[in-house]
Amino acid sequence: MKKIILKADNLSKSFSSGGALQHVLRNIDLELYEGDFTVIMGASGAGKSTLLYALSGMDTPTLGTIRFGDRVISDLNQDELAVFRRAHCGFVFQQIYLIDGMSVMDNILAAGLLVSKDKKALLRRADNLFEAVGIPGETQKKFPTQISGGEAQRAGIVRGLINNPEILFADEPTGALNSKTGLEVLDTLTRFNEQGQGVVMVTHDMRSARRGNRILYLKDGVILDECNLGKYVHGDKERHEKLSDFLAEMGW
Amino acid sequence: MKSCLTFWRKWGGNMRKSFLLVRANIRKAKGQTAAIVVLIFLAALMLNLWLMLSTDYKQNFKRYHDRLNAEHVILAADEDNGKMRGFLEQTVENDERTEEFSIDPAMHMVGLFEYNGGEMNSELIILEKEKALSRPVGKIEIVEDSKNKSGIYMPLLYKSDEIAVGKTIDIFVGSNKMSYTVCGFFNSIMAGSHNCTLCEIILTEDKYEELKGTGYAPEASFLSVRIKDKSESEEYEAMLKNAVSSRYPSIRTASNSYGIVSQSRYISQMICAGIMSAMAFFILLIAVVVIASNIMNYIQENMKNLGALKAVGYTGGQLILSFHLQFLSISLIAAATGAGASYLLFPFVNTMMISQTGIPYRVRFLIIPFILTLIILSGAVFLAVWLSSRRIKRIEPVVALRQGVRTHNFKRNLIPLEKTEAPLHLALALKTAFSGIRHNVTVCITMLVLSLVLVFSGLMMENVIVNITPFLNLIIGEMADSCIDVNEEAEERFYREMSADERVERIYLYSSAEVRHVGGIALVATMCDDFSKVNNKKSVFEGRFPKYDNEIAVAAKYAGEKGLEIGDEITITAEGKQGKYIISGFTQISNNLGKDCLFTRAGYERLGELKNASYYINLADGNDISVFNSEIKERFGDDVNATIDIRATIDGGSSVYVSLMTIIVIAVLVLSMVVITFVLYLLVRTMLGNKKRDYGILKALGFTTGQLILQTALSFMPAVVLSAVVGVSACGFLINPLTAVFLRNIGIVKCTFNVPVGFNILAGLGLIVFTFLIACLLSLRIRKIAPRMLLAGE
Repeated sequence: MKKIILKADNLSKSFSSGGALQHVLRNIDLELYEGDFTVIMGASGAGKSTLLYALSGMDTPTLGTIRFGDRVISDLNQDELAVFRRAHCGFVFQQIYLIDGMSVMDNILAAGLLVSKDKKALLRRADNLFEAVGIPGETQKKFPTQISGGEAQRAGIVRGLINNPEILFADEPTGALNSKTGLEVLDTLTRFNEQGQGVVMVTHDMRSARRGNRILYLKDGVILDECNLGKYVHGDKERHEKLSDFLAEMGW
Repeated sequence: MKSCLTFWRKWGGNMRKSFLLVRANIRKAKGQTAAIVVLIFLAALMLNLWLMLSTDYKQNFKRYHDRLNAEHVILAADEDNGKMRGFLEQTVENDERTEEFSIDPAMHMVGLFEYNGGEMNSELIILEKEKALSRPVGKIEIVEDSKNKSGIYMPLLYKSDEIAVGKTIDIFVGSNKMSYTVCGFFNSIMAGSHNCTLCEIILTEDKYEELKGTGYAPEASFLSVRIKDKSESEEYEAMLKNAVSSRYPSIRTASNSYGIVSQSRYISQMICAGIMSAMAFFILLIAVVVIASNIMNYIQENMKNLGALKAVGYTGGQLILSFHLQFLSISLIAAATGAGASYLLFPFVNTMMISQTGIPYRVRFLIIPFILTLIILSGAVFLAVWLSSRRIKRIEPVVALRQGVRTHNFKRNLIPLEKTEAPLHLALALKTAFSGIRHNVTVCITMLVLSLVLVFSGLMMENVIVNITPFLNLIIGEMADSCIDVNEEAEERFYREMSADERVERIYLYSSAEVRHVGGIALVATMCDDFSKVNNKKSVFEGRFPKYDNEIAVAAKYAGEKGLEIGDEITITAEGKQGKYIISGFTQISNNLGKDCLFTRAGYERLGELKNASYYINLADGNDISVFNSEIKERFGDDVNATIDIRATIDGGSSVYVSLMTIIVIAVLVLSMVVITFVLYLLVRTMLGNKKRDYGILKALGFTTGQLILQTALSFMPAVVLSAVVGVSACGFLINPLTAVFLRNIGIVKCTFNVPVGFNILAGLGLIVFTFLIACLLSLRIRKIAPRMLLAGE
């Protein structure tokens, strides 16, 4: 029996646009489990990213409750959510969002020093993570605009993982990358997941979705269905077909 | 014709395109525009006030002088008979410089009355009302009258709560008190203030005759002369005085001239105008730096947009023109409004100034200062825009579109987080600080200017408001408790008895006379029997006081004009004799506007006899000055011509300086706070605009709003602290020389004010803390930046 780390009940999110209310998420009930690689799929405008941001405490829901462990996070104010995010969540963005004015290493340490007071331990962890994603020391000293997109996104993953979060939230992490570097990033995420890191990833790319063990399909703000693929094995054709069938069933 | 039409069509097209850009830019940056408007508004307000004060206000003296057909030289000689009048008449008629003159009977005495909580002690010329109104030269003008037919008319300068129409004023001549009902106020150009040396008061006929009958005030011949060339007024006065003293050595005289009065009545106006001009140019400097920084920042941040505009056909010139139109239009509107608003403030300044000059001034619209204000401000803004927007011409559309935003200096990582020992938020703040050179330059210039303003305020507080003695030392020169004027015959006895009086701590001769530098001008000579006894040792600020009878200390301003050095020998003449003197030192006493000199008594007596000696007395603690003076007057009777309570006189005269300076200090401090708030508003707003994405990322990573506000405010602190420390320290050293530059017109060459180090340190700290708090307050907008913006790609 997997441990539930995040639970959403009756989660709804609406936006007001030009006087009209737009319901992006509708009464979603969802549980996320420890160590899972959960993939949220759906067509553009289905509410994938909105769901990801609501679950991660980046945004507050209009209605419903989100629990992280025993704690209700949907009632927290912005500063309390910030403290929650820094301690429990990691983020990888489609646009990468490294801070241009800081070196790659500083981008990671700025997030890390917010939580850890042990700078030496933090530097060791950063070194290990950089090594794991294949970013050499020389690159760590460069500024984000001086490195490739793939390197930047891998640095983004290191930043997301620096505080040892329970869940790494990834919003279309390969969306801005070419296929080769996108693959490298996916391999990195898979590797960390294999080591026990929980990942929640939003994507509309089937190749990326294949990496997850649990696929949620979102349509018009509602989770239509989910598909369990099991542990990822490279080149597993059966897994590929199962996902294809699921997506076809969902009208993908 | 065709080419002309083409030109105008093209020009119209360019302007239309530029106007579109201007409108877009202003709409996009309403906050920044508003802040720049406020800065220009304040600069225009101060600039227009300064220009009005230093041009038309000063001209007001000349206008009044012409309208009242006022004199250029006046002289009162304490004898009124046919012989004296005949002599005066003959003397002025024989001088070809004379244009017209008037000689009338008057009374002349040293009198005192209560004013502004102290005493006003002055040489009073008392005239009968009808005579004063009908004099062909130097007539007075009644500016406030009443139905009272018997009483006194006072100069407008003294109009106050205590001296008002219907109230009673007591005037003391020695121990004799005369009480009069105030009937009204008048304006006299050359004798309407104690600053004129001679101060007229007017009595109704009955009161005049009554006073004449008492014999308290000596009858005098009052001569008013208009000369052909007013620039020769001081020479003419010296000639007249020498003529009278040569012919009538025992007759007491008092005189003044256009040259001295036109400046001495406007000392406050000159100080006030100097401070306003400094503030105006300081604010303008800040506004110009802010505009330049704003434009450079805009170019940096909108490189892509500018590239796109160039790509669709806008030329570099059109884009630059749009900046000129944008900033010049808001500057002109702000400057016109600011100059207009100065008319709301001017009546208040005018009231303050009238209480100093005693000459009414009618506030009216002055086109020249207004136009000059617009020209100076728009010229400065044009220059700032031109210098900061030139690089637009070098932007190539393709490069701009490719490079996009490049706001950071990637050359060096000055604060690597893995190595720094600084706390995280401070380290991140320092990173921001070191990446924004333009922000730092703007902050530094603003803080340096404000440091100067603070140090100046501290200087004025310490030397005028809290303890006015250093200021008075510069203005008056020497102060003691009591001044007693004794007859020549009683001088020895007086000195002997005073020296033996245990109430007297120190007594020294401190008398004035008039001499003339051969090849130069007339100088006010002050002589002392022993300069080591004087209280103000700083009045000779370079060299030393005269010690021997062949030495003289001269005004530094005059020495500078004449190229005289310490050790030079000059020839002085008085009472028909000449003597050579070696310059032992330089003096500066603004009361004489830099036209004075010091002798030992023996030194002066090489030229002439000292007739009425004035002694300065310092009393031992616990003795009442007025009681002491009354007792002396009683003991010596007619041998004492006048007793003056110097402290009370100073209280009366100095309170206006204290209140004027208090208002100025408060105004410049408030202005400084407004300026720093608006400059920070611009910088913080620009920073938040530029770093919106970064703040969103940091919030997503778990930084709280409070932490980001702290980082933002801290990022200004290196420049703030550095420039405040450098500014306050440097200004502490430079403030006296800088103040001397402003006071040079009134004869001050070297300021010797006490620099309040403690206050400066506290003011510097206050400035830093204030800036930090305002930066925090202005950074509250960070609350509105939500990490969700990353999702929306905002």
